[in-house]
Amino acid sequence: MRTPATCHNVEYHLMTHVLGIVAFVMLLMSCKEKEATPQQADGTVDILQTSVKVEEVAESRLLSYEQRQGRHLYRKYCSVCHGEEGKGDGFNAFNLDPRPRDFTDVTYMNALSDVRVAETISQGGRGVNRSPLMPSWGGRMSKKEMAYVVDYIRSISVKAE
Amino acid sequence: MTKLRLSFALSGVVFFVVLAIAPLKDFFREWKWYQYEYNDLITELPQRVKPAEIGIKQLWVRGLDRIDRCGTCHLGLSEPALQQARQPFRAHPRIDHDFEEFGCTVCHEGQGAATTYKGSVGNVEYWDKPMYPTKFMEASCGKCHKEKEVLRAPILTFGRKLIEESNCAACHRTEGFEKQWTPSLDGIGSKVNRSWLVNWLKNPKEYFAKTRMPNFLLTDDEVNILADFLMTLKTFPRDATLDRLPAVLTSGTEPQREKLAELGATRLSEARCISCHPINGRGGTVATELGKVASKVNAAWLYSYMKNPKRLQPGVEMPRYRFNETELAAVVASIQSEFVDYEMEEQPPHTPDPSYFEKGRALFKKYNCSGCHELGGMTKAEEMGPDLTSIGAKKLYEIDFGRSSIEQALPSYLFTKVKSPRVFSPTMKMPSYEFTDEEAQAITVALLGSTKEEIPAEFKVQPKARSTYAPQGEFGKLVDDLACFGCHTMFGRGRLVATDLTLEASQAQRKWIEKYFKIPYSLRPILPERMPNLFVSDAEIKVMVDYMEKVFIADSVEQEVRVDQDRMAKGKILYYEKYGCQACHQINLEGGYVGPALDKAGSRLKPGWIFHWLKDPQAFKPETIEPKNNLTDEEAEALTVFLMSLK
Repeated sequence: MRTPATCHNVEYHLMTHVLGIVAFVMLLMSCKEKEATPQQADGTVDILQTSVKVEEVAESRLLSYEQRQGRHLYRKYCSVCHGEEGKGDGFNAFNLDPRPRDFTDVTYMNALSDVRVAETISQGGRGVNRSPLMPSWGGRMSKKEMAYVVDYIRSISVKAE
Repeated sequence: MTKLRLSFALSGVVFFVVLAIAPLKDFFREWKWYQYEYNDLITELPQRVKPAEIGIKQLWVRGLDRIDRCGTCHLGLSEPALQQARQPFRAHPRIDHDFEEFGCTVCHEGQGAATTYKGSVGNVEYWDKPMYPTKFMEASCGKCHKEKEVLRAPILTFGRKLIEESNCAACHRTEGFEKQWTPSLDGIGSKVNRSWLVNWLKNPKEYFAKTRMPNFLLTDDEVNILADFLMTLKTFPRDATLDRLPAVLTSGTEPQREKLAELGATRLSEARCISCHPINGRGGTVATELGKVASKVNAAWLYSYMKNPKRLQPGVEMPRYRFNETELAAVVASIQSEFVDYEMEEQPPHTPDPSYFEKGRALFKKYNCSGCHELGGMTKAEEMGPDLTSIGAKKLYEIDFGRSSIEQALPSYLFTKVKSPRVFSPTMKMPSYEFTDEEAQAITVALLGSTKEEIPAEFKVQPKARSTYAPQGEFGKLVDDLACFGCHTMFGRGRLVATDLTLEASQAQRKWIEKYFKIPYSLRPILPERMPNLFVSDAEIKVMVDYMEKVFIADSVEQEVRVDQDRMAKGKILYYEKYGCQACHQINLEGGYVGPALDKAGSRLKPGWIFHWLKDPQAFKPETIEPKNNLTDEEAEALTVFLMSLK
């Protein structure tokens, strides 16, 4: 977004002194015009500034496109064991030993690289010397889909922080 | 002379200034600032990013007839290093379409040729197709993707599902949505009691929270007139009549009836009504609430309906349970003693409006009740709701916002309309569905995507053709009578509440299927929907299984697997140690709840099925979450031998 500060630091682009004076006038004008535009502080446009109250689902606002796609996949494939909230408490978690990973365990999750998480999803527990109870999804999900899921899992860990 | 010189000099200066304005204006274009800013921004990044060349960047997509200059300011679209950058420099999310190929406005809408903030973002004055707000972004997917489930657009898919289930097609012209079955009202006067009907018309959701019937927000007078009118409708479709109640129900002694009700309760639980019907809010939601049904319908109707549902209600997806006379009476006795609404508001006696019949009929027409409900001789109302096939292309000047103070834009109009249908004018007739915000958002997304925009065929994804499978003969009659399509899919037709039966005979052994009809059970310990016991006869089972073995079978799934101890042991290791199948499947009560239990898999499944299923589960059931492990033939065979050994 453009601010008056950035308007100033382009003064060195001016070619001649005469042009500079005229330019300065116009610059002021353009800066002023800028203020008049209905742009909001975060650069987005409020879509429903209405009398009918719209309670925004706060979470989906914060999630990026990739994370929303990941959430959709996560709910289908992962949540049965890892839980809707990612706490490792899905309905099937209690049949498993070792228990499914808790994604809200920030210290553990932050120590893992994206590559490693994607590898675990793709090859299952057996692919990364962990419990074979974690199935491999490489045959089911595409690389892109697994990247979406990684993005979503990251958002769970960030939220827990 | 000096004057002339002075004016000459002055006009010279004026000319100079005027001439200078043109290059200056060009020099200080808004987009240039963004480009300088971008080049500043990337120098702060740790990665090396190619700086932008100063100039307008234009994308011309010939196939879709779009010319977009969005890339002039959105400079980091395909730059992974700028994923977190501020707008307009942020990288585009990784989507399945390449925007070089599709352009920007085909999805986002907005004024593609604009190179200013004001001319492109938000509701641009005099521009018919403003950009979709992020919340409704998936609408654009719907323009090309006409298939039922759009993989990357869950909100759109959900919205379309809601539109179909809410039966919008009853009053609106729609495309690709099937009309839902709703009960016929012929004979309703011989079925329900008036007090129930009045309460129902006032607010259907109070009786059955998940009902498809919306609230028409009727006044008390309207409710009374409609109820009086409906209560006069005593004849059933095709002149069907009610059966006489057995003597024991009408004149039996108290202990006799209690004993009968006990037997009825057992039969009812075996019949698993709850698979489809909720009972006091718990259970399936495919059919109506049963918890208070004895206060809704009379015993004679209940008895006749249980005996043969389709006789009184043609087309209903209720199976005809094979109860004998005593069992039928028992079931009715049980329902009458248990499923009573003790809190139901009894309507005070009232004198009907003298012209209630004509007025009731007029109300029935006014609210287009026959859009959903059949009623002998009644035609659909002429005045229908707006055409929904092109609602997403509605222009701002075509919308009447009434006195509401909402934002003057199509998305907010549709959202508000769906949430509170009569807010724009009290004379509107659309009933209230009480959608949640999330549901209203999904429906708005689906509606915004119905634009009828002309898009070249190669960009469009068409829905699968509807299945025309209709079994004939004895089996066809049974499928109809038992309402199998209500839960099962066969060759692409039916619901997916229960398993897809298309390859059932390739999957399961004959003996197991036969036994399953007798004592149905759930293969998965946690699924709420369960196969009812329909009490079918041995002869009927034979007809069905014979048909399955001829039709629900594929030669390609046949495979003999050689059994030997080595392979079995290897299969066991693969099962428990390599692939960890016990995470989801139970054997002898040990293991997970996600997939079906595999106890006695050897007496249930066919080896060929196990082998081919393990190789590629989604080839048989695309929606299954069984992982595809890319097994070798040898591994799949070993696992098959192991599973077949579980008898």
